[in-house]
Amino acid sequence: MRTFEYLKPASVNKALALLDLYGDQAKLIAGGTDVMVQWKKRIISPQVLISLRNLAELSFIKFGGGLEIGAGTTHRALELSPEIREHFPVIHDAVSNLGSVQVRNSGTIGGNICNAAPSADTAPPLLVLDTNVRIASTKGERTVAIRDFFRGPSRTVLQTGELVTLFSIPAPLPRTGMAYSKHTRRKAMDLPIVGVAVLLSFEEDLKTCRKAAIALGVAAPTPMRAANAEAFLAGKPVDKTTLLEAGKIASEEASPRTTIRGSAWYRKEIIRVLVRRTGLICMERAKGAARS
Amino acid sequence: MSELFVGKSFPRADAEKVTGKAAYINDIKVPRMLYGKILYSTRPHARIKNIDTSAAEKLHGVRAVLTGRNTPNVRVGFLGDQEPLKKDKVRQFRDEVAAVAAIDEDIAEEATSLIKVEYEDLPPVFDPIEAMKDDAPLVHEFDARGKPRRNNILPLPWKLIAGDVNKGREQSAHIVKDTFRTTWVHQVCMGASGCIAQFDVNNNLVFTSVTNVPFGGKDRLDMFLRNIGLKSSTRILTPFVGGSFGSKLDTDIYEFIAVLLAWETKCPVKILFDRHEEFTASPPRQPAIATVEQGCDKDGHLTFRKVDMILDNGAYTSWGATTPSVMSIPVSTLYKVRNIHFEATCVYTNNIYAQAMRGYGNPQATYVVEQSMDQLAEAAGIDPLDFRLINANEPYTESPMRIKITTCPLKECLQEVKTRIDWENKHGKRDGRGVGVASFLHVGGGARVYLSDGQGIIMKVNDEGKLTIITGGTDQGQGSETIIRQMAAEASGLRYEDISIVLGDTEICPWDVGTHASRHLFMVGNAILMCAEKIRAKIRDLGARWMRSIIEADLNKKARRDPDFKAPQIDWSVLENPDNLDVCNGEIFVRDDPENPFLRMKIARVVRKAHLLGTGRGEMVTAEAFYDPPNEMIDREGKGNISCCYTFGTHGVEVEVDKETGQLRILNYVAAHDVGRAINPMLVKGQIYGAAIMGTGYGLTEEMLLNAGRVMNPNLLDYKLLTAKDKVPIDAVIVEPIEPSGPFGAKGIGEPACVPSAPAIANAVYDAIGVRIKELPITPERVLAALKQKEEEGV
Ligand SMILES: Cc1cc2nc3c(=O)[nH]c(=O)nc-3n(C[C@H](O)[C@H](O)[C@H](O)COP(=O)(O)OP(=O)(O)OC[C@H]3O[C@@H](n4cnc5c(N)ncnc54)[C@H](O)[C@@H]3O)c2cc1C
Repeated sequence: MRTFEYLKPASVNKALALLDLYGDQAKLIAGGTDVMVQWKKRIISPQVLISLRNLAELSFIKFGGGLEIGAGTTHRALELSPEIREHFPVIHDAVSNLGSVQVRNSGTIGGNICNAAPSADTAPPLLVLDTNVRIASTKGERTVAIRDFFRGPSRTVLQTGELVTLFSIPAPLPRTGMAYSKHTRRKAMDLPIVGVAVLLSFEEDLKTCRKAAIALGVAAPTPMRAANAEAFLAGKPVDKTTLLEAGKIASEEASPRTTIRGSAWYRKEIIRVLVRRTGLICMERAKGAARS
Repeated sequence: MSELFVGKSFPRADAEKVTGKAAYINDIKVPRMLYGKILYSTRPHARIKNIDTSAAEKLHGVRAVLTGRNTPNVRVGFLGDQEPLKKDKVRQFRDEVAAVAAIDEDIAEEATSLIKVEYEDLPPVFDPIEAMKDDAPLVHEFDARGKPRRNNILPLPWKLIAGDVNKGREQSAHIVKDTFRTTWVHQVCMGASGCIAQFDVNNNLVFTSVTNVPFGGKDRLDMFLRNIGLKSSTRILTPFVGGSFGSKLDTDIYEFIAVLLAWETKCPVKILFDRHEEFTASPPRQPAIATVEQGCDKDGHLTFRKVDMILDNGAYTSWGATTPSVMSIPVSTLYKVRNIHFEATCVYTNNIYAQAMRGYGNPQATYVVEQSMDQLAEAAGIDPLDFRLINANEPYTESPMRIKITTCPLKECLQEVKTRIDWENKHGKRDGRGVGVASFLHVGGGARVYLSDGQGIIMKVNDEGKLTIITGGTDQGQGSETIIRQMAAEASGLRYEDISIVLGDTEICPWDVGTHASRHLFMVGNAILMCAEKIRAKIRDLGARWMRSIIEADLNKKARRDPDFKAPQIDWSVLENPDNLDVCNGEIFVRDDPENPFLRMKIARVVRKAHLLGTGRGEMVTAEAFYDPPNEMIDREGKGNISCCYTFGTHGVEVEVDKETGQLRILNYVAAHDVGRAINPMLVKGQIYGAAIMGTGYGLTEEMLLNAGRVMNPNLLDYKLLTAKDKVPIDAVIVEPIEPSGPFGAKGIGEPACVPSAPAIANAVYDAIGVRIKELPITPERVLAALKQKEEEGV
């Protein structure tokens, strides 16, 4: 019969020791909202589950211009954080519309990123925020830029014995607007057909683009940055026309697949539209941020 | 009206569901119970060369492993085209190849994974039009009687011809013709399928079942028992059921398998589906490809309607193949049209097969007819809502199918929608927002699909003056227990809170056809009226015989206790005639002197008196009735007045289409429904809301995606059932023409509100952006593709 052992270490260090002990036979479980689904579908059959649930060390939101988020922080905790809502609305956009309240109460941002689904809702926001991923093992710590973290569907740079402890986000430039748009068939309990995060920092004229970051979900085997579209916008005045063009370029950079959830041509079409629309939200938000 | 209970919004009586106390099939365990699991085919079409069950049999905890090779070869299903366990050939991915009974679910599951099946693939056919071709692979080489089959077309010649379509064509000023497609959608009941089969010491089968047709199910299982060589019979018990929507109308294959496992092991065996199995191995709504042609004269009067349907029957036959019997009602009778030609062809393929689902073919037929109505209105240059008003059915008329329409407020429903959706201002703008309408008619007074359309009922008044109702119907969530109490309290004169209901046991309950075809309220209501009349008569009769002595005893007692008490002058003769007495709200009194406190008492007192006479001549107050309505079966030409009355209605929808993404939003939704009379307006609205959301899902998001016969989205993430957050702002309008044949004037409302949603939405989309989506569901992708195609054609 299919069974597993469930271990619940009391600290990150103990979890790392267990990871060393069991190696590839073990699987980390945080909220379990991906792990249990995969276990039931027989995609994974680990002999040991090492639980990170309720480890205070991994569950925190530290704001001080920049932001540090513990990997074990639930989506619901992020959703309810006033600092995130105010200063990192792109994260709020993503986590407040992920699954359902029940899923958000259980699922964590670390689980979402480490599961490395092309559709992970928090990946595009963390990508445009130039997030650094802190990784720990019994041998020590290392930091990887989130751009380099994903290696393919369900694949990351994590080695056996490693876990993610936190996400570190630098303070955004002044006059920055950021937003995430998720295109779905229904309003809850749905994965994105495409997800688009945009971050735009403006010069003092609130028109000229100082920095553009655009990230796409479900557009390639991993969540991706649309570098050409970003380069196109940098230094240009941002308006409907330039955003429309940026959308076109991003759509060309993308290489989505046709699946039961959506056709490739449709995904490309939506990327085109959403880059523009999300860019316009960024402009509004940047103006709002400059005013306050 | 001076009714006390009927017409009032009593809250649901079955509160145990929201307190968690209700026991569903999932909760029920019996001693020594084993768990059954089924191994399904991994091929869509293949010969079974070998089945090796040895490893499964050796697993600890396994009690039986059955295949088509070690069980009796017994055919089941409405055309007898399958055996519970497939022996020589599989014809679809859901084919049941082997079954295991074990001491727990995990062991049973593991055992099925140890069974090795060797297949030899056969060429499959998935497209019904391909399957109709002469050289298509045969899904069945032989029919149920062993006669060789020449093609994949089922021997079910659905046909209805009335008037002369060619003449109608000649009289037409405008004609439209188009083809539409609908696909598989699932009932998605909250409670999944499940059963417990056990044999008692006399080899009688006790079967705990989620069926909504207990006596029909009993018949099928009794026949199955005979065919496997048993002379015993079946007792069906139904627990609380978490929804049916048609899915629990046929006896499903897993149920026969549970019986085989229980017989083999001599232990109770439970089979319970998980959600994946529910999607892959329980039959959904019938898909259809429909070509519809209709015409009208220059004034917009319909001249003819011709509909040809091709139904992908899948590999076997359940009730899905009989849905044309209901499709013929909207095809022939929705709006006034004299010349009708309707044909439906059911074709075997290697896809999953279909069953009943809310509306029973009506959603598919109305979807095509109502879109064609819009196309024809446009061709004739008439506003589509006015076009429907011109052609609306009239009360007390007969249709070409020989349907006898009684009350019919269709025009009123159309007018309600017109006003409430602000049609005049909103229609015809083509600015990304649009409005659309669609109407329907459905059986509202039973449906005689068997020789009987009857329902039995037994009532007994017990010692404390409480009424027990024993009925053969079932409740799968629609609120029967509430409306039965309301109607019985009204009809019998007993108190609402003093009524209890016994259902769900074929050994106790009187016979009933089944809770289907929106018939329960209509049937049980009429049966209640018949039976309650007898109960009232008995109580009045007892009153006439015993009230006097009870009152005299009371007065004497009072006089003894209070020397100043002066007994009133009473004319005892008024009590002697039962016709002078009446019962209401638990009391018996003199009809012409209801306020007289001396001539009024609780019913319990006369009933108790009759029980405890002390003379050896005691009596009980019980009655039974069997209501079998005056409707007809459909004849060989497909004609007949199948129901006592028909219910009508119109839905109007306002949508906004995002032309860049194809997404649409429902801004306003009006659902006007003829219900005859609302016995409980809150429950009626509940039915309308729920069904309209279901219809909206049919229109916009729901579809079982099949790829080469395999269900690709057997889960609630990828099967896009609408969520609470997707709620549609529905304005439910109840229209009450008071139906003479209905109990207290009521018609059925269980199914209808899911019928017109999809075409109303499709028509609204057309009004908004000028493209017509001819395939369900209307996905953003399809909308955007159609818009792009239109743009290209425009250039
Ligand atoms: C009904 C439902 C709806 C959903 N809707 C959405 C949605 O809308 N959008 C979306 O993006 N996702 C959705 N999901 C997926 C899932 O909820 C999220 O991906 C969630 O964030 C996973 O977090 P978790 O804590 O539950 O991860 P788990 O399932 O516990 O783990 C996921 C993976 O991450 C690994 N892991 C977890 N923590 C760490 C760590 N600290 N270091 C290294 N590896 C780690 C695990 O080993 C595993 O491989 C949904 C899931 C369900 C069941």
